[in-house]
Amino acid sequence: MSTEEHAATPTEASEWPLEPTNNFAPGENNFIKVDNFKFFYGKKEALHGINLEIPSRKVTAFIGPSGCGKSTLLRNFNRMNELIPGVRHEGDITIHGTSIYDPSVEIIALRRRIGMVFQKSNPFPMSIYENIVYPLRIAGQNTRSVLDETVERCLRSAALWDEAKDRLNDSALGLSGGQMQRLCIARAVASRPEILLMDEPCSALDPIATAKVEELIIELKKDFTIVIVTHNMQQASRVSELTAFFYLGILIEFDNTRKIFTNPSMKQTEEYITGRFG
Amino acid sequence: MTSTAATSPKNFFSDAGKKTSLLRLFRNHFLTGLCIAISLLTLVPLFSIIVLVIKNGLPLLSTNLFTQLPPAPGLDGGGFGNAIVGTLVMVGISLGFSVPLGILAAVFVNEYASVSWLASVVRFVAKLLTGIPSIICGVFAFAAVVMTTHKFSALAGGLALAILILPTILLTAEQALLGVPYAFREASFGVGATPFQTIWCIVLPEAMPAIMTGVMLAVARAAGETAPVLFTALFSQNWIKGIMEPTASLSVLIYNFASLPYAYHIKLAWSASLILVVLVTLSNILAQVIFAPKHH
Amino acid sequence: MYKEPAKPHTLTNFTTALDQLRSSVLRMSSLAQLNLQNSIKGLLERDDDWCNNCIADDEEIDLLEMQIDHEGIEVMSRFQPVASDLREVISSIKIGANIERVADQAVNIARRARKLNEQPELTELHLLDNPIRLSLTMFDDAVRAFAERNTELAVELKSRDKELDLLNKELTDTLINRMQDDSPNLPSYLNLIFISRCLERIGDHACNIAEDIVFAVSAQDIRHLGKQ
Repeated sequence: MSTEEHAATPTEASEWPLEPTNNFAPGENNFIKVDNFKFFYGKKEALHGINLEIPSRKVTAFIGPSGCGKSTLLRNFNRMNELIPGVRHEGDITIHGTSIYDPSVEIIALRRRIGMVFQKSNPFPMSIYENIVYPLRIAGQNTRSVLDETVERCLRSAALWDEAKDRLNDSALGLSGGQMQRLCIARAVASRPEILLMDEPCSALDPIATAKVEELIIELKKDFTIVIVTHNMQQASRVSELTAFFYLGILIEFDNTRKIFTNPSMKQTEEYITGRFG
Repeated sequence: MTSTAATSPKNFFSDAGKKTSLLRLFRNHFLTGLCIAISLLTLVPLFSIIVLVIKNGLPLLSTNLFTQLPPAPGLDGGGFGNAIVGTLVMVGISLGFSVPLGILAAVFVNEYASVSWLASVVRFVAKLLTGIPSIICGVFAFAAVVMTTHKFSALAGGLALAILILPTILLTAEQALLGVPYAFREASFGVGATPFQTIWCIVLPEAMPAIMTGVMLAVARAAGETAPVLFTALFSQNWIKGIMEPTASLSVLIYNFASLPYAYHIKLAWSASLILVVLVTLSNILAQVIFAPKHH
Repeated sequence: MYKEPAKPHTLTNFTTALDQLRSSVLRMSSLAQLNLQNSIKGLLERDDDWCNNCIADDEEIDLLEMQIDHEGIEVMSRFQPVASDLREVISSIKIGANIERVADQAVNIARRARKLNEQPELTELHLLDNPIRLSLTMFDDAVRAFAERNTELAVELKSRDKELDLLNKELTDTLINRMQDDSPNLPSYLNLIFISRCLERIGDHACNIAEDIVFAVSAQDIRHLGKQ
């Protein structure tokens, strides 16, 4: 399989171009670069030498069956996996040309540059206001005007301002599921990250709330590089520009989303997205 | 179409074994009733104690009890203000030792090194300690403090109680920390918080109500224990002057007075019991009000 | 290239619905083949009964076209097909529309044939033999390519269509020349020209079907390649 030898990059033109625009050229603009990356939970190898280049200011979706390694890879971008005891990695991940494993890179700083939204919305048991300013407070920022400004900016960018502006001091746990998840997105962008990682952000939401979050994702890609893990293939095809399909810890195919969902190159991808797996 | 599928709605349910259902119904009701009866039975000792304590303790209840010193044997009048203060001081000392130690140990065991050998050892030892008879704590404090300072003291009593309640606090605090969803920690780490910030700003506040429940359990236990205090703080007929003095406590007072042949002293012991129960209950309720989760 | 039918879906309903759609298209195409043959028979044997059969049976084909549309829409709304499944559904709907037009052309031929049958027979009728053979085999091959998912056969149809176009053009010129010599039979000559035109259209529809088959099987768009 060629994906193991060299980096899988989107093909320049799909085989039946519906529109001629495909401004992503491989090798350029590779914001996040995964280089022969292997990851181990104890003895178990969860990722087998992944090569991948994710462009900036685009939505990249990771799809694949459970246990395929997509979440593992996502959680390595901000080194969240290291909270789990007994893990190790080989290979490298670089962002903007800097290795995230470089000794000069502080893990705290790394995570402030990379926002993360989790599967289950997890607002802190505090007020809406305090939830959003938490990333600032832990960084030592306590100036009231800065905090106020941040709360408004983040709530606006998470499309939650109109719903929440009159209840900023109410508990975040009183919000609806969809609002909570958007609050988590607001919190994730509070420290002005450049990358947003989303780990199945809509899996616990109803279709309307899901649609709102998806709309938000498309809105946010103007300002952020977004990587989203999802089990919902329709969601991947709706929101993403690039899609990576993982299976058994291997990157099977990485290409333009349109190509993946109309005419994937690999048999496994085709079988997975059409529902003929196993 | 088969005949079973054509069953009319009328006998649709009655079809399913009419003969057994009566027996089943009876058995169901019988067992439910039995469970309720047994649950009520467990309330009997508790209520009898409360009723007994109130009945015997109320007659002497007055402000004098709180403001006056115990009477000399054979005399009437007076109260046990010094014992109330002594109990509060010793419980305070014990909490002063055991709460920080217990919570910090729980934080270490649960947050920093949950799978290390040290954490396992700490957990194991704490569980062992919960089973240690309270008098052993008294003996230890006697040896460690009383023997070295050559004095019975509130400090020694407090220390004995601290040892007694430390494992309870540690284990309940650990359970409280375990009860904080991992998602909160993940969210906090995810926005770039250090482990310390995560624990201090998110985990501990969230676990606080449960931790305080454990602390209150410990307070109740410490306030009620006689054995560790008996030969560390001893007893005193006077107001407490310092923590290095022998000190009166409610539990020891009850023990002492109840065994005296004077009717008035026995009545005082009942009143002391009542006040002990009320104090523990009050502090419990107070703690629950103060530390109630604000955001749920 | 013969492509194996893909593995069944995890969702059996999905497989069943796709199979159902496919068999509807196959049924429609065999009905259209029959109708076309009937109209040709009516034309060549100068027998109005065959022509009437063809005209009457067209209704069933129209109904099948609608059924295919509904089945295709149902598959799309219920199962949200992607990739090969999506292409298969879209192509089936488009192929259904093309088959319906082929059947319409058969009806046109039958109507023209009835008019021809009212007039004395023209020897020029046999000039149509070649175009008839060619367009009939083209349509048959298009149907076969669909049944077998045979893209090679489908691609090959495009070159045969050029041949048919050429034949039609030559035939029209010839008939126009004859017309000038034999003006009393002018309406019949006109009818022959129209029939030739119908046969040419059938070839075009067979080509469209072939293009949809190639798209469904290999995701390649082979339409309008010459014009780019």
